[in-house]
Amino acid sequence: MESGPLAGLSHHIEELLADLGGMDIIDFGWGSITTYSVWLLIVLVLVFALIWVVKSRVSLIPKKGPTAAIEATVDYIRKEVGFGVLGHKEAVDKHMPFLFTVFFFVLGANLVGLIPGAKAATGTFSVTLTLALVCFVYFNYYGIKHSGLWIYIKNLCPQGIYPGLNIMVWLIELLSLFLRIVTLSVRLFANMYAGHIVIGAFAILTTLFIFPEINASSLGPLSLGTAPASIAWMLLLVAMYGMELLVVFIQAYVFTLLTAVYIQMATSEH
Amino acid sequence: MTVIGYGLAVIGAGIGVGLSAFGGATATARQPEMQPKIFTTFILGAAFSEALALIGLVLALISA
Repeated sequence: MESGPLAGLSHHIEELLADLGGMDIIDFGWGSITTYSVWLLIVLVLVFALIWVVKSRVSLIPKKGPTAAIEATVDYIRKEVGFGVLGHKEAVDKHMPFLFTVFFFVLGANLVGLIPGAKAATGTFSVTLTLALVCFVYFNYYGIKHSGLWIYIKNLCPQGIYPGLNIMVWLIELLSLFLRIVTLSVRLFANMYAGHIVIGAFAILTTLFIFPEINASSLGPLSLGTAPASIAWMLLLVAMYGMELLVVFIQAYVFTLLTAVYIQMATSEH
Repeated sequence: MTVIGYGLAVIGAGIGVGLSAFGGATATARQPEMQPKIFTTFILGAAFSEALALIGLVLALISA
């Protein structure tokens, strides 16, 4: 066993991973309410309350503070995702409520996860998989509703491909259709999970390098020991936290944008 | 071994994401007023090439 500040690192990392795995609060046998479920409910209530309050405050005269921030976000998403991807106005009006629900839920869950001690609901695979499945069912439903079941299935393969070859292309397209569930869910989950591990690892390193100096009784004014290293880790931690703040918004945006693209692909004529 | 395989899988995805960032940066420099549209295109390109790395990650996880 090595000595020095790094001695306890692997033990602490294991503790961090176990903590990120979540903890059962009530176990039913067939499933359990975990800490993640509680944070999921908190996020749902928070987002619902926030949007409810903002909705009642919307007026022609621009407001300041959170109302203006949410209005600007809604405007941006409506312009870029709505008109940028879905195109015409009927489609925007039809699909935007769903896309906004997804966006604000993912954003809220991601943001709550950045509070120390809180857990991001999107940091578990079950939640992101469920979200991706909801989006999958949604765009397939509207695709089938738009062009009929048989034509929708047939149109997975682009037209104008030689007979024989088009069966192969159809199979590949079918596979990529189902892979969308995997990529949508794993992208969000992996980004959140990896981000939390990185932040946690830097926090562990910060404490590992400062604790021996706090405990040491004979700390001269000139011998700082490993304290500078701890401060360096702390600065890295703050930098990574800022980076994660960026990732939180980008991932929520990417999730919404890709869902919109899939809806557009499913409902457009071939 | 699975980690090495995942690393190999990520090379291609890294090149893909880098290329889309390159294209996005060049396009924005040429036509800054098109920035929102270019950003959307960049995100889409990055997301689709990133998907390959994610499939690699899933394969590495399930075969570990």
